Amino acid sequence: MLALDIADLVMCFPGLDAPVLAIDRLHLAAGARLAVTGASGSGKSTLVNAITGLETATRGSVSWGGTDITRLSAGRRDAFRAAHIGLVMQDFHLFPGLSAFENVVLPVRLSRRLKPAERERALQLLETVGIARPHQSVETLSRGEMQRVAVARALLSKPGVIVADEPTASLDRRTGDEVAELIVRLAREGGATLVVVTHDPALTERLDRRIGLDGGRIVEDSGEARAA
Amino acid sequence: MIRFILADLRRFKGGALAVVVLIALSVALSVTVTLQERAVRLGSARAAEKFDLLVGAAGSETQLALSAVFLQPSPLPLMSGAVLAKLSQDPRVDFAAPVGFGDSAYGHPVVGTTTTLVSALSPRLAEGALFARLGDAVIGADVPSPLGAEIKPMHGGIDQGGHVHTEIVYRVSGRMAVTGTAWDRAILVPIRAVWQLHGMEGGADHDHADHDHAGEAPDGAAAGDHDHGHEAHIDADAALDEHFDADTPGIPAVLVKPKTVADAYRLRQEYRGETTLAVFPAEVLTRLYATLGDARSLLLAIAIGTQVIVVAAILLVTIMHVGARQRQIGALRAFGASRGSIVAIVWGELFLLFLAGFALGLLLGYAAARFISASLAATTAVRMPVEFAREDASLAVWFVALAVLVSIVPALSALRLSPARALRA
Repeated sequence: MLALDIADLVMCFPGLDAPVLAIDRLHLAAGARLAVTGASGSGKSTLVNAITGLETATRGSVSWGGTDITRLSAGRRDAFRAAHIGLVMQDFHLFPGLSAFENVVLPVRLSRRLKPAERERALQLLETVGIARPHQSVETLSRGEMQRVAVARALLSKPGVIVADEPTASLDRRTGDEVAELIVRLAREGGATLVVVTHDPALTERLDRRIGLDGGRIVEDSGEARAA
Repeated sequence: MIRFILADLRRFKGGALAVVVLIALSVALSVTVTLQERAVRLGSARAAEKFDLLVGAAGSETQLALSAVFLQPSPLPLMSGAVLAKLSQDPRVDFAAPVGFGDSAYGHPVVGTTTTLVSALSPRLAEGALFARLGDAVIGADVPSPLGAEIKPMHGGIDQGGHVHTEIVYRVSGRMAVTGTAWDRAILVPIRAVWQLHGMEGGADHDHADHDHAGEAPDGAAAGDHDHGHEAHIDADAALDEHFDADTPGIPAVLVKPKTVADAYRLRQEYRGETTLAVFPAEVLTRLYATLGDARSLLLAIAIGTQVIVVAAILLVTIMHVGARQRQIGALRAFGASRGSIVAIVWGELFLLFLAGFALGLLLGYAAARFISASLAATTAVRMPVEFAREDASLAVWFVALAVLVSIVPALSALRLSPARALRA
């Protein structure tokens, strides 16, 4: 598990004068569970992109366990993310034509040989998330099952951090609740720091801390409120 | 990796197929041009192999060579038979054989000659025996008649409005082995039979030697009206006489086998004069190939131009394809696939398509060249060998190297965007 430290982070997009995201300071303890809320356009996704290194920061630093990912090269940052950050996204991004199992192990397989232990872990994770037939082609799964496969994929490399971007937004309520429960439980069991961007109050409830974004700035922080 | 590439290609199978077909067709075009040019060159060089030196009446060298080597019907002027007599007795000459064309039977050229030439073309007959009587004929391997069949010669060809000679009916006595030349379609008969048919020997006046014996094409009607001196029966059982003297009637060409290379050059020098012409058919053909080579260069340039266009089109398609796939590529990177593996996937997919198209094109081109050669062989009997040569390998290497380079461009462009932006694409 890794702690997050953000300092003087500014994200700008070309053609826009105002920064899309500006965070002076944010500390998240290792193993903490954070919910990020806010209206659309408030900078939630940009925050996810910044802390996962999917987008290069314009200024400032984003450190995970002491490693400032804004200083890494694009390739190193991809490698850091592969090793330490498990991602779950709103629209799953599973690859059609491959089975559930193949989707879970695809990122590893594309980079190197799959170890037997990883193979075992992948099958076990699929069982844990409730996929009965790991060799079923992903196109034939229900949306809830697809997101479960995506959760299993995010956990394969035992990441110190799990970042989920609207993981339940494209699911119906009951399925969404199940997936939310799954993510929180697995993050706890794996001892991972969890960051979830969500609109879903039920999901926010399950997490220790919530920050609200508006216009790219933190306007609300339940952690600070408690500290104060 | 491979499984992922294949799964990906399966998803885009329509486009992938189109790319493969496009490449295959353009490769096939160059392969066919290259192979076919080589086949024609080798085939006709082999066809000319047995014809060291040709002596004919003064006229066109090309015509003389083409008529003798490919038995192409054309109006060759006759030269005096005395030349044949002189050549036969020349100590530098291994053998000299007359070649008298003009008649045909069922579309096959009937050629008057001697047993020496038959033996030179086919040292061992496939079946039967050489001609022993004036009415015997030895047929080429591609002439469908069986041994003992009757052959009624016709003056000129059917398409030239010729008439059937009624004075003689040849009987097939033997069949030559396959020579791979135009002579496989020929019917070889004793030269004296041809002379007698055309009233050029024995009693006939020598003015006949001037008549356009070899080619009736220019004045077919005149040939039809032509008085051949007699309509009398020719004695098919008469014995062969292959000894020629100064009174020998006119002939279109004499095939000469010199004893040495030096003799060949000396003889050619000697018989190049006012009334006669001496050529090395191989040399004439080489000149023709130079023209053929130019045509090949042109065709090849067109083929390569086509390939460049195809490659450019493919590049465009791929760049668009990569654009459309940015999301997928972004996702792969987001979930931890290494940059190297992304390049390998995009590059590998494209390279696989190139390679498949290339292989298919080779097959198609080879098949097309085989088909063209086969249909050429069917009409001319000249075997045209379709084969790959060492220099083709360098062409192939060039193509593969180019494919590697071209397909790496979209692969690298795939990494230009940040994963987040790629995901939004």
